Amino acid sequence: MPNQSSPARYGAVAQTFHWIIAALIVTQFVLATLADDLPIGAHKLALLARHKSFGMTVLMLAILRLLWRLKNPPPALPDHMSPLESKLARATHVAFYVLLFAMPLTGWMMSSAKSYSVSWFGWFTWPNLIGKNEAAFEFLRSTHDTLAGVLLTIAILHILAALKHHFWNKDNVLLRMMPFVNSERIKSEKR
Amino acid sequence: MTRHLMPTMAWLAALSLPAAAGAAGTATNYSVDPQQSRLEFAGVQADAEFKGSFRKFGADIEFAPDALANSRFDVMIELKTVDTADKDRDTTIRGSDIFDVAHWPTAHYVTRSITKTAAGYSAVGALTLRGVTKDVPIDFQFTPAAAGAKLEGSAKLKRLDFGAGQGDWKSTEWVADAVKISFSLVLKPKT
Repeated sequence: MPNQSSPARYGAVAQTFHWIIAALIVTQFVLATLADDLPIGAHKLALLARHKSFGMTVLMLAILRLLWRLKNPPPALPDHMSPLESKLARATHVAFYVLLFAMPLTGWMMSSAKSYSVSWFGWFTWPNLIGKNEAAFEFLRSTHDTLAGVLLTIAILHILAALKHHFWNKDNVLLRMMPFVNSERIKSEKR
Repeated sequence: MTRHLMPTMAWLAALSLPAAAGAAGTATNYSVDPQQSRLEFAGVQADAEFKGSFRKFGADIEFAPDALANSRFDVMIELKTVDTADKDRDTTIRGSDIFDVAHWPTAHYVTRSITKTAAGYSAVGALTLRGVTKDVPIDFQFTPAAAGAKLEGSAKLKRLDFGAGQGDWKSTEWVADAVKISFSLVLKPKT
């Protein structure tokens, strides 16, 4: 599989970004949910420290991914899609990119506002984006929570859409983001 | 050889001590200007540094550069006035697992000896925290000013030496053992 994306499928780099970030986002939801249920204490601190390190990893990957995407446009959507479907698909992907930045940034600002600086796996500490501010923290926390809900919603939409393309439309939309799938099969599946 | 030297050194020390003390005048008695004085600390939490201070502390400072033998610091810190710019963290620190201010409301530091160093002065003293008394050396500088003096310095201690970390907080994985102390005291002569 070539590194670059082709008209038929996503390249190895785009796929790697997609699946690593997807795995990190799932991890983020798990860590955040576990931490939310805990009282203030060492265990919560530990989970949130990991959550922050992974979140900053997502932010760095999102920057690289966006740069890569600008140089390597993704394969076009299948011809059978209606203008409305295409618009919805584009809007979902734009929303994903906005959230890939908005989630880590609101999280980072939240930590800054509560004067809990963000470390990256103990290797270095990120500078605080804003000063200590209780009201800003509360606002950012609810924003972060709301955006997490939006992210979860469009992720479900995204997965359902991919399955619909694969099983209903029987096109190559799911397979072209799948590693370990023969390119010939993708071409033959293309309608 | 050591045996032969020992009495000689003791004799030399006996000679030099009165000489040093003889040159000494009396130490000046100072009190601390609470508005302009700071007693701060820095710890590491989830791999990132956080800073805190004590809003209320009192100090009796007896000091003169030429009367080190008669110089002495006596500092009393009101632990419940700890301020780390986050109320959750402050509450945790005041709680039974860290400072336990309900049982031990104050920390007390008294110097035993003060010596001149290349950079300024160094003091050996005992810190009592959570009912545990242990030596904590400090390095400081003394700068005479128009209406008194300025005393600035730093120290390092290990929180677990004093039991400041029970239960989950005994672990140093997410809250480091080492804590840095720094102070900047504005001294006014007692009248």
